Amino acid sequence: MIRFELNGQTVTTEDSPDTPLLWVVRDTFKLKGSKYGCGAGLCGACTMHVDGESTRTCILPVGSVEGKSITTIEGLRQDGELHPVQQAWISHSVPQCGYCQSGQIMTAAALLEHNPDPTPDDVEAALAGNLCRCGCYPRIKAAVLAAVDATDAMEGTS
Amino acid sequence: MTLQNLSRRSFLAGIGITGGGLVVGLGLQGCSAEAPPTFTTTDFAPDAFLQITPQNEFRFICARDEMGQGVSSGLATLFGEELDVDPTRFDVSFPGVHSAYGHPAFSGIQSTGGSAAMRGHYLPARQAAANVRDLILEAAAQDLNVEKSKLSTDNGEVIAGEQRYPYAQFITTAQSLPIPEAAPMKAPEAFRYIGQDVPRLDAAEKSTGEAVYGIDFDIPGMKYALMKRSPMFGGSVNTFVPDDIQRMPGVVDVVEISNGVAVVADTFWQAKKALDQLNIEWDTAEAAKFSTADLRADYQTALDEQTGSTTDEEGDLALAFRNGDTQIEVDFWAPYLAHAPLEPMNAVVKVENGEAEVWTGLQGPPFAQASVARALNIDKAKVRVHNTYLGGGFGRRLLATHVAEAAEIAAATGHIIKLIWTREDDIQNGVFRPASLMRMKASLDSEGTINGWMAKRVGGNILPDRMVGALPVVAPDFVPDGVLNSVVGLADTAMSNWIVDGSSVEGLAGDYDLPNRVIEHVTVNHGLPLSYWRSVGHSYTAFAKESAIDVLAEAAAVDPVELRLNNTRSNPRQHNVIKVASERMKSMEAEKVGSLGFAAHSSFHSYVAQVADVSVQGSDIVVNKVLCVVDCGRAINPDVIRAQMEGAIMFGLTAALHGDLDIADGRVVQSNFHDYPLLRMNEHPDVEVIIIDNDEDPTGVGEVGLPPIAPAVANAVFAETGQRLTSLPLRFS
Repeated sequence: MIRFELNGQTVTTEDSPDTPLLWVVRDTFKLKGSKYGCGAGLCGACTMHVDGESTRTCILPVGSVEGKSITTIEGLRQDGELHPVQQAWISHSVPQCGYCQSGQIMTAAALLEHNPDPTPDDVEAALAGNLCRCGCYPRIKAAVLAAVDATDAMEGTS
Repeated sequence: MTLQNLSRRSFLAGIGITGGGLVVGLGLQGCSAEAPPTFTTTDFAPDAFLQITPQNEFRFICARDEMGQGVSSGLATLFGEELDVDPTRFDVSFPGVHSAYGHPAFSGIQSTGGSAAMRGHYLPARQAAANVRDLILEAAAQDLNVEKSKLSTDNGEVIAGEQRYPYAQFITTAQSLPIPEAAPMKAPEAFRYIGQDVPRLDAAEKSTGEAVYGIDFDIPGMKYALMKRSPMFGGSVNTFVPDDIQRMPGVVDVVEISNGVAVVADTFWQAKKALDQLNIEWDTAEAAKFSTADLRADYQTALDEQTGSTTDEEGDLALAFRNGDTQIEVDFWAPYLAHAPLEPMNAVVKVENGEAEVWTGLQGPPFAQASVARALNIDKAKVRVHNTYLGGGFGRRLLATHVAEAAEIAAATGHIIKLIWTREDDIQNGVFRPASLMRMKASLDSEGTINGWMAKRVGGNILPDRMVGALPVVAPDFVPDGVLNSVVGLADTAMSNWIVDGSSVEGLAGDYDLPNRVIEHVTVNHGLPLSYWRSVGHSYTAFAKESAIDVLAEAAAVDPVELRLNNTRSNPRQHNVIKVASERMKSMEAEKVGSLGFAAHSSFHSYVAQVADVSVQGSDIVVNKVLCVVDCGRAINPDVIRAQMEGAIMFGLTAALHGDLDIADGRVVQSNFHDYPLLRMNEHPDVEVIIIDNDEDPTGVGEVGLPPIAPAVANAVFAETGQRLTSLPLRFS
């Protein structure tokens, strides 16, 4: 049995330890927002936060997250409010097919956690591992930078 | 336009329309589907519904799956404009085929691809909404005892003097009234929403992980299936030993179906681990054995030695080539490509009591219905298809062979099956954009007129392959497979010998005046399954055509943009986008990082010109910026148009810079995103879009931004390095 924290709740699973975390979250815990795209850590659609780090979960054995804290797109809201990155995504009409967007958003949120004031180059570097077949890159970049500005503005007023 | 007031029809709940109120059935052009099975009126079969609930909520339900990047927002804009309701208030849903069986929780909004949606719906959708607004006004006039001419509307409310009333207040009266047939529509000057950046209706759902795709759909008791298919095209299963595999944890069955062997297990990972251990000996007697080099050599021989079928022949080409001052001849190559939508193919299928139920995301649920019916040998009416969001389409999800696979596995094992293709399956066992070898010959006279143009393309044709999927949709159930296959065979033969499949050569000669021209086609078919791929033939013909124009300009020492302007006199809209782009190009000269390249190409009734700013660093081609000028008629939602241009440019850059699918010994070499890379965030250029808004009817936007990008980059690479790259992807030898 493997025990870890999923979006703030302690959970346990009987899935075999080599099962990738992605499939445990999707099929055992029925949180479908994280996606399967390549199964090889190449596209980023499966990105979750593991102890706050943006992580490819399609190749991460669930046995390795014993005792760790996992956040998925479903757990990104803060106090019921959409994360600033999510708000920027909506206001920029970023998604097209939308399939990669959970992974993009999770990577962007982790970036802002670690680097609250990224340059455009920082944004490109951080998101270079998240593929978007629809080609939403210009809007993704603009939305991340807008989320930075929005966060700055919020902090400036508080 | 026929409308019918359906508010009291008992079948509405059966097709997922709940909440009551005023429900109007519409017959939309391009939105046709079979009537829901419980609907038996013979004179009018609605294929779409407009609903105003008692809570004054606004819904639009289209019984056919509809595809289009932002099409839900686009349709809502058309309805909202004439109904006088803010489009963002609309709930738009597309329940799928035979929506009488639709799962109400599953009527997701389709938002992918499809360059025809706005063109087909612009007038019918507006007329329908205008008629319903008129009906509401008539009902309000009766209920309020006010002259109709004294009433007006504003965002879902009727205004009478100082008073405002929600539309819903009048639906009871409206239900009893005949619906006007041709209420006046707004003049364009009065548009409130058309032409505005209406936000995407699906952005929130797709930013929270809540949007449900086919791969997300679960049914209690469902089992997971993964498959091995012949790695060589045309191979089949010889032998395999299932015993050890069947004893692995979670494995419930190992079955052979028509297309390979499936491992069925309780979880995806159990099925995957077991499948990895499964050894299959393939029968390769009938399988392909060729490699890309063989194929290209075959194409070259055909190009050099075979006379093809001709199409679009005009003027006196021989005379032109004798008289032309400057003449060029260049061959261009474009490889096979996979679509690689980020959501791999998948389907959930339940087979029970001679009926099948399917949940998947497709660019046309009828394809799933027909292929499952054929696979199980049951009538199409026994197959219910529920469509979900699509994690990318690009032409790939016109195919439903994976749905038929899932149905076969479900029938063979007695379990409800979720079949998931791995990325490797997607790259290696899918359907492909055809490879092409093209020869462009052109001559330019001393006046600057292109007086000779010969384009010859060698490659396979898509249409016969598409008929495999499409014929069962239209053919009655009693027509046996053998007959359908013979029809496909006949089409294949015809296109190999006499007729030119339009999609094989589209775009090779369009756009320019070209008084003397011929297009020639030689079919060389190596048997790989082919399919439409974003912008279809234009994806490679534009590369040949627009590169050839620059080669011709270079040979004649004239400006390539001037050459384009001088030879588009008979094509004013194309001429105009070239002119607008060339003017912006002049100011880009001062801003550029590398060198500029120009290309222009019309497709899907829209006109596009692009300028690419390109640097070369070592052997890397870096695209710094792209200007895109597009004329797609009236711009219904400029922000959606910009998004489509941006996306198509990125999709086209993946093909221009990376896209290559090699065949070795009859099998695809590439397998995942490490060797079939997609453009990444750190490679994307800035994109500037200029929309030529005008009063023409709206035309396609989903694909039209793609064709010019590869030649624009190739022409910029030439400007930067002096090297003319004639093969895709663009690489220095």
